[in-house]
Amino acid sequence: MSWLLRRNMLPLHSNSLARRPLASPPPLLPAPLPSPRETHLWYVVPDQLKDASLLNQYMDLLSPCERQSVLRMNGERLQKGALLARALVRTTLARYTDCRVSPKSFKFRKNRFGKPEVEWNKYDLWAPPPLQFNISHTSTMIACGVALDLPIGVDIEEKQRKTRNNILSLARRYFSPVEVAYLRTLADLESQRHEFIRLWTLKEAYVKALGRGFSGAPFKDFTIRLEASNSKQVTGESKSDASRIVVEAVDHPGILMNRWHFALFELNNSHYAAVCMERDVKDPADRENNSLKLEVWRTLPFVEDECVTETAAVKNIIR
Amino acid sequence: MASISATAISIPTRPRHSLQAVNGIFGLKSVSISSLKRSFPSIRLQPTPMHFRVCCAAKPETVQKVCGIVKKQLALPEDTTITGESKFSALGADSLDTVEIVMGLEEAFDIGVEEESAQSISTVQDAADLIEKLVAAKSG
Repeated sequence: MSWLLRRNMLPLHSNSLARRPLASPPPLLPAPLPSPRETHLWYVVPDQLKDASLLNQYMDLLSPCERQSVLRMNGERLQKGALLARALVRTTLARYTDCRVSPKSFKFRKNRFGKPEVEWNKYDLWAPPPLQFNISHTSTMIACGVALDLPIGVDIEEKQRKTRNNILSLARRYFSPVEVAYLRTLADLESQRHEFIRLWTLKEAYVKALGRGFSGAPFKDFTIRLEASNSKQVTGESKSDASRIVVEAVDHPGILMNRWHFALFELNNSHYAAVCMERDVKDPADRENNSLKLEVWRTLPFVEDECVTETAAVKNIIR
Repeated sequence: MASISATAISIPTRPRHSLQAVNGIFGLKSVSISSLKRSFPSIRLQPTPMHFRVCCAAKPETVQKVCGIVKKQLALPEDTTITGESKFSALGADSLDTVEIVMGLEEAFDIGVEEESAQSISTVQDAADLIEKLVAAKSG
């Protein structure tokens, strides 16, 4: 393999500044920009990475600062996860630039609350698309959500995740009273655990969309629940077409924070995924009952991409 | 799961595992990060300034107890080295892990941790120091 030859020719002394030339990676499948109210979600399954040379290609995309962060992770498994996460963000965003910006060229900065955002270069003849993105990972999946112009938050969690603490204890400590009451209506522990995880991902996605950090929107201060579209509260079962996910402040129950819409679904049979996106209040079409649209791809950057939106990989969608 | 973004100055951790050098072609089963360090010689872990604390650091026994709780919560392999310098985010703790760790610490030390204080914890040492402060305040 030609990459191996290049690696053997590399000088081994650590203060060498010579950059080893790497073959340019294969082109990425470009993607059309998300339409209004639409989230694109790209996910990678680390276990599907079987080709070691890919790690080299991914590492080559990162900034020196990102590489250092990757190597500071404790152990190879976490390092690989951190590397894949950065590679996923860079390659995903690059797809939306019409081949003008390579994954390697992206620069990032943090907003004043620490939320990462793209820092675009100045271009003379091209206006970069106002891409908003957010990333989430577990040890078995990394997901990157992209939207146009409006803030987005994404959170995923393994369906089988067990908690060390009792579910109701966790909920009483961190969730709102309405949410705790909902969890208490569930008779068996397994349902309670699943609903806790789903609520957690929704609350995380909301806080991440807000972009103010965990302390900017304490979990206890807001409730996320299902509401029937005729404005009567539905508890317990969800009917996907008849109800929607809403958020309200604990201090102002009944006054829904309509600026946000949500989607909650199962991904790859292994994970719950939640997306929260800000509504465009200036757009007359983005009214309360127009729900969030979703397109999902499974990817292994530079190797394969598969649109899984209409497949069994994405199911039980509640919006 | 999201990791909480840390605002504390980070103390660099020494590599916890001895990364095995891989010679020749990678085995397909083990995709090794360690060889990448040789491929990218310009990578160096930059030393960051030490964060000096005004208050006294926690007793070693407290740090040990915290390490034990963290190891259990994150289901880390037995041979994982955790010290006071270890950052929760570098150990792979997400936000749910962090709240579970806080609850575990509250139970083990019989204290209550405020949300704001919980946000400021980014290393094991931070947690141990906070615990001792709360325990002292309780008994004082």
